[in-house]
Amino acid sequence: MSLTKLKPSGSTLQKALAFGSLIALVLIFSFLSENFRTLSNMINILQATSVIGVLAVSATIVIITGGIDLSVGTAMTFTAVTAGMLLTWLGLPIPLGVIGAILMGALTGLASGFFITKMRIPPFIATLGMMLVLKGLSLIFTGTKPIYFNDSPGFTEIASGSLVGLLVPAFPLPNGVLILFAVAAIVGWILNRTALGRYTYAVGSNEEATRLSGVNIDAWKMGIYALAGAVTGVAGILIASRLNSAQPALGQGYELEAIAAVVIGGTSLTGGRGTILGTIIGALIMSVLTNGLRILSVAPEWQIVATGFIIIGAVYADMLRKKT
Amino acid sequence: MITRRLLLGATTALAMMTTGAIAQDKMYVPLISKGFQHQFWQAVKAGADKAAAEFNVEVTFEGPETEAQVDKQIEMLTTALSKKPAAIGFAALDSQAAIPLLRKAKEAGIPVVAFDSGVDSDIPVATAATSNVAAAALAANKMSEIIGGSGKVAVIAHDQTSRTGIDRTEGFVNEIKAKHPGIQIVAVEVGGGDHLKSAEITKTLLAANPDLKGLFATNEGGAIGMVQGVQEAKAKVTIIGYDSGKAQKDAIRSGLMAGAITQNPVGIGYETVKAAVAAAKGQSVAKDIDTGFFWYDSSNIDKPEIAAVLYD
Amino acid sequence: MTKLVEMAGIEKHFPGVHALKNVSFDIEAGEVHALMGENGAGKSTLMKILSGVYTKDAGSVRAFGEEVTFDGPRAAQDAGIGIIHQELSLMNDLTVAQNIFIGREPRGRFGTLNETKLNANAAELFAQLNIDILPTDRIEGMSVAKQQMIEIAKALSYRSRVLIMDEPTAALTNTEIRELFAMIEKLKSDGVGIVYISHRMDEIKQISDRITVMRDGEYVDTVPAEQTPINRIITMMVGRELEDAEVKIPDLADAEIALEVRGLTRGRMVQDVSFSVKKGEILGFAGLMGAGRTEVARAIFGADTPEAGEVIVHGRPVKIRNTRDAVLAGIGYLSEDRKHHGLALSMDVRANVGLASMDQVTNVIGRIDETKLAKTAVDYIDKLGIRTPSDQQEVGLLSGGNQQKVVIAKWLMRDCDILIFDEPTRGIDVGAKAEIYRLMNQLADEGKAIIVISSELPEVLRLSHRIAVMCEGQLTGILPGGVEQEAVMALATQRETTEDAA
Repeated sequence: MSLTKLKPSGSTLQKALAFGSLIALVLIFSFLSENFRTLSNMINILQATSVIGVLAVSATIVIITGGIDLSVGTAMTFTAVTAGMLLTWLGLPIPLGVIGAILMGALTGLASGFFITKMRIPPFIATLGMMLVLKGLSLIFTGTKPIYFNDSPGFTEIASGSLVGLLVPAFPLPNGVLILFAVAAIVGWILNRTALGRYTYAVGSNEEATRLSGVNIDAWKMGIYALAGAVTGVAGILIASRLNSAQPALGQGYELEAIAAVVIGGTSLTGGRGTILGTIIGALIMSVLTNGLRILSVAPEWQIVATGFIIIGAVYADMLRKKT
Repeated sequence: MITRRLLLGATTALAMMTTGAIAQDKMYVPLISKGFQHQFWQAVKAGADKAAAEFNVEVTFEGPETEAQVDKQIEMLTTALSKKPAAIGFAALDSQAAIPLLRKAKEAGIPVVAFDSGVDSDIPVATAATSNVAAAALAANKMSEIIGGSGKVAVIAHDQTSRTGIDRTEGFVNEIKAKHPGIQIVAVEVGGGDHLKSAEITKTLLAANPDLKGLFATNEGGAIGMVQGVQEAKAKVTIIGYDSGKAQKDAIRSGLMAGAITQNPVGIGYETVKAAVAAAKGQSVAKDIDTGFFWYDSSNIDKPEIAAVLYD
Repeated sequence: MTKLVEMAGIEKHFPGVHALKNVSFDIEAGEVHALMGENGAGKSTLMKILSGVYTKDAGSVRAFGEEVTFDGPRAAQDAGIGIIHQELSLMNDLTVAQNIFIGREPRGRFGTLNETKLNANAAELFAQLNIDILPTDRIEGMSVAKQQMIEIAKALSYRSRVLIMDEPTAALTNTEIRELFAMIEKLKSDGVGIVYISHRMDEIKQISDRITVMRDGEYVDTVPAEQTPINRIITMMVGRELEDAEVKIPDLADAEIALEVRGLTRGRMVQDVSFSVKKGEILGFAGLMGAGRTEVARAIFGADTPEAGEVIVHGRPVKIRNTRDAVLAGIGYLSEDRKHHGLALSMDVRANVGLASMDQVTNVIGRIDETKLAKTAVDYIDKLGIRTPSDQQEVGLLSGGNQQKVVIAKWLMRDCDILIFDEPTRGIDVGAKAEIYRLMNQLADEGKAIIVISSELPEVLRLSHRIAVMCEGQLTGILPGGVEQEAVMALATQRETTEDAA
């Protein structure tokens, strides 16, 4: 299985550690509250992970190259708006709207990639700029009003419907969760089994050595950013489907949650190392934490403090592992 | 080549932005709001624009992106004052932080009309606002009426620091405590007005309290998220929302939401500009302009007096 | 003589590596004790334990008569053990004196820094050591030699009685080396014990009193420097005899020209350079530091874009705008800086070998055929004798020589028939060097055209069938192989241009 065998990191211990923390958190919360350990709450947690998880997968791709993508949050919104324009305004069928949104995501990624490679703007700056540009464009295109998908009745089924529930009524796992796992599996496969993935790690590990190996870095990097953008487009579809609307003002701030999940999952911000499996575990840790603290009625202010410490703690654990 | 084309594009864009500049002879009244992306603020703007046309004045409307950006709003106020307007409309995110600037405005003879929420100062010549405390208390009474005076209830606030966030939350909570002892408030969570976050919070609240009977959201984003969360959890809970917007109206029509409090945003915008124009001309204005609030549900949503204050 | 330091039974493990196995070492007052061994033999690890950078797993360290455990470099310094690392670690933007006393600046009242006292202390230190450097000069722009003197002064300012020098002469000129040795003699007479790590046999013989050899993390032997012949030391280091090869120049009269360069120009460092290499030929590039040899290689390879000039491969002119074009034309470049320009250190051997040839092992949608790639990688591991536990070992964990072989494998897999080796044995120890040389000769025999750039003249002389010499961006001449060093040096220092050099 491509997800579990991620060679370039070789850090099975790290994954075990992150996975261990996840299990520990679940056990602790289960012990403290009977309302936490219900099947429906577990499904809630998975569903709450779906959007941020897909965004985090997108962020992982870019972070492995040693870059950063601050625009994932607003790019997600922009692709949701794109879906809204295609489906509600132009009345296109749902599959075209979905494909259109994913292509738009790839296009925004390509644009970031272009700024980074051809105009030599550092990723932090280029994607910071894109974050604002896309946020503004979402508001302009929609006239700041949300676009609703009431004319495309099947659209909400994409994230909120449950194929699993049709087969096993007792386990109504929302499709959004399946999509998250599918995206993770596909991206995991791309990163481990294709040239694009190999160059993603290679660029993050040593960009100059990769260039001197005769690899056309600029083209591949644009491809990598486009892939990340397409994944962001999937997140856009998920959130739009979930809310049955494209909310143009949403999205900013999601990039930091996504990056936090990536980091908790053991991906190095300096590039070259990281796994999709780790990222998914990282995103789950964040969801379990917010869900659990809320169920225990911890004050919202303290929930924020706890999340902050978890991020610091997770990275510290990673550092300790690397030292020994 | 590329850079020249970019430059050209940028210049054109700049030219387009400045064509809307202020005509010299018209009275200029900038409105500094708490936001602009939310439908509520768009409705306030619509009211302001209506008044602008009626009194033949130039009105601009701007606000920061989130209601936490006090600093950005102060900056906007500073810029607006430097343009020497005839009067200014101001919806303070943090009234204390704005007082030095408001003093400056007073010294420069620029009348200030507070809107949406009050400013803790005697500088504003008038305040056009909803009484949020009274409005939230009405929501509390309606909640008690619908759920039968007893049971567990939770609140999702849109903010824990702004005046409206505090007033609506406290207005609701205090009214329940004072008048409805049978009702227990199990949680006050903060959803930041973010639809998705509010939906996740709702589901968690339902998981933590399977016997939850009622939910109150203090703004539109929270209410929509609440509806989504309750639907996904397939729970039966009484939801009371705040403000309007298409999604909320639909939810009320279909029975997913019991009802909501609406302010009169169009009235707020209209009254603010009207008062500002009067003050600039040296006429006397009423100190407190109550723009009113209404309870609406499926029974009265289409009545003309309600439909007039709702927005999509 | 009194023993300043005695180390016995030292053990050290790193993840997956048993770095030191029961190693003993001692230092006497007033001696230079050379520590030798191939890269990865454990010299640096041993010295890092002595200087408090690493902690030992087992064994004992006695310093100045007491059993000690250093929990950090500072503790070792305070005890009187100083180390001068191979990579100089001075802060460029600070002055000489600020660097020397970093972390223990003399303070004035109210905790302010007393800069006057700082500079006076540094001046006093320099006077003792006979160093002619102003304490107030900034490090930026100083020669490596001067920086080294400052590092030594810094180490001695802690009143060090033991001084460890790791490859101190690697970047020094002969004059500078003489100055360094004079200083070492002075320190010896003051009773300081010096540990001297170097690969340069002649220096070792010249400066040291005793020699300790390590191999594969184990102590081999300690011998007196004067009485032990160099060959025996090398044998101790590599564990076997090395053949001492003379260059054999093949008859290439009928060989086809593989690469021809005409009028290559880029800035000051590459001025109108023209030459050709035949199939099966090794063309050496000699010259002093900064003569423009690396720049020529980078321009040919498209790593930097040339301003003018033609590159002709197998009789056909090719346009090289970037590294991709060069690789497609069959040119491979092995950078002088493997770690930064040659390898993706955090990736495994297999991925690095395949890095330039992904198109050979991927299908239409870009899926990598791992089985095929693994087989190819294993083939090269066998063929080139790369010592690695498996093809899935992280390259960063291999020794310098084996890393270089991985880079070679990368270009062989790409099937490049023109290979440019830039400083192929930099940082590689004696045993591995010979292997790299043999490999290069073998590649030439197979018909590859090879360009080798090296700052070590003996290396150029030993390998090259012809020698191109550069000086200040110009090609000053091409000599036949097997000439005397002096002939090369004459061209390398020839400053005026010959009009018809091409």
